[in-house]
Amino acid sequence: MDQPSPSSARPAYLRPLRPVSAPMRVGLGILFFLIFIAGWSVVTFGGLVSPLFLASPVRMVEEGWSLLTEYGFLYDIGITIWRVVGGFVLAALVAVPLGVAMGAWKAVEAFFEPFVSFARYLPASAFIPLLILWAGIGETQKLLVIFIGSVFQIILMVAVAVGQTRRDLVEAAYTLGATDRGIVRRVLIPSAAPQIAEILRLVLGWAWTYVIVAELIGSSSGIGHMIVDSQALLNTGQIIFGIIVIGLIGLISDFLFKEANRRLFPWSLA
Amino acid sequence: MSAVSIDKVSRTFPGVRGGQPTHALTPVSVDIRENDFVTILGPSGCGKSTLLRIVAGLDEPSGGKVVVRGREVTGPGADRGMVFQSYTLFPWLTVAENIEFGLREKGMTKSAREAIVADYIGKVGLKGFERHWPKQLSGGMQQRVAIARALANDPAILLLDEPFGALDNQTRGLMQELLLEIWEADQKTVLFVTHDIEEAIFLGSRCLVMSARPGRIKADVTIPLPHPRHYRMKAEPDFLELKVKLTEEIREEAKKAA
Repeated sequence: MDQPSPSSARPAYLRPLRPVSAPMRVGLGILFFLIFIAGWSVVTFGGLVSPLFLASPVRMVEEGWSLLTEYGFLYDIGITIWRVVGGFVLAALVAVPLGVAMGAWKAVEAFFEPFVSFARYLPASAFIPLLILWAGIGETQKLLVIFIGSVFQIILMVAVAVGQTRRDLVEAAYTLGATDRGIVRRVLIPSAAPQIAEILRLVLGWAWTYVIVAELIGSSSGIGHMIVDSQALLNTGQIIFGIIVIGLIGLISDFLFKEANRRLFPWSLA
Repeated sequence: MSAVSIDKVSRTFPGVRGGQPTHALTPVSVDIRENDFVTILGPSGCGKSTLLRIVAGLDEPSGGKVVVRGREVTGPGADRGMVFQSYTLFPWLTVAENIEFGLREKGMTKSAREAIVADYIGKVGLKGFERHWPKQLSGGMQQRVAIARALANDPAILLLDEPFGALDNQTRGLMQELLLEIWEADQKTVLFVTHDIEEAIFLGSRCLVMSARPGRIKADVTIPLPHPRHYRMKAEPDFLELKVKLTEEIREEAKKAA
């Protein structure tokens, strides 16, 4: 006779750390979205909240459609993406080499680390009034907000990632005749590369917050600007649509980054 | 001229937070002949790894000096290849790329590198694994690549720090035979650190027994067993006699350290 095993008595998903099947994972993920929209529908269609404060999902879709077709919202989306990517790329170009240098050479770290640690806590959004004074309300100001918001974070995290390179790998490279330059170029950088890519993915997500804040204050285009305009018109449908668009773009860029990392660093997943 | 001369090398680690400094090595002097296979046997914590790291240039002696082929050691270099106990293949490089790491650092041409890599892939029996990532290999295979990587550089001396310590018994036996085979064919000066008595006898032509901390060389034993050596030798009377002798030597030290 077969003894019923404890695992067959209770469903597997009740056991801690037990993986679930792929269809179940996807299904559960979608289920939450459905519940979320259902809850939203109940409070809006059911009249629990005034349409003035919260548009219904249907209204949101209608408003979104008119934004895209009548008000040239695609242009705003494009401008916002350009600002995020531009400011972020500038920050990465400065921060990654500096972070690598800080991780590799302790003297460089001692020189920059205290200042960068301090600067990291300066809120990027608090710089906006100052940056408007310096750079006006043009594109330069938007790029600078994102740059300031991202650059110090990337520097510090890259420095830590590079500094954490396994010492035994460094020693092995030395016994194979590597020079100090060879250690940086052929051990520290490749060893930290997947983590650096992961840091960039994370900080790009934060950059999205900064760009919207920058666009809320002193801007004539972009998703943030549209949101402020809609607020003046009490059009909550448009505001929610704008927020959802930001979320979707974030989701897509996240996916692209993950896919790129998978292709670039097959060794870290093999 | 000896291949390696260790001249009154000592090592003291400073005390932590005002504590007593640790004497890891009392002055150790030993000369190693060209193409000799020398095993260093000692209980854990006796400073045998410290001595090896000083020869490699990864650690600095507090006193004395190491001279390799007439040149005093001031830091790590390609003339002293090393295999570590931990798995130190570069995870972002394939097996073949790992083996050619040192050759690239020397600026060797691609075709010259490829020939050497193919040669050593064959010697360590990893044909067909050239394009694998280290993660995809077993522990024994990874250490074989590490040995190939160190030898491909053609160092004056090969240093091994308990390279098979993390492997299971069967794999360890096979790895010992493989290493011996390569040494018998190519001739190389080898310094091999281990705490395994059988391994020290089977591999070495000379065995240095180290005392418990502070480490010093307690006995310098010639292993007169003939080559080529076969694993069945481990059960023969000559071998067992050496084993009894070395076990006595090391037992006393292990007691002090335990």
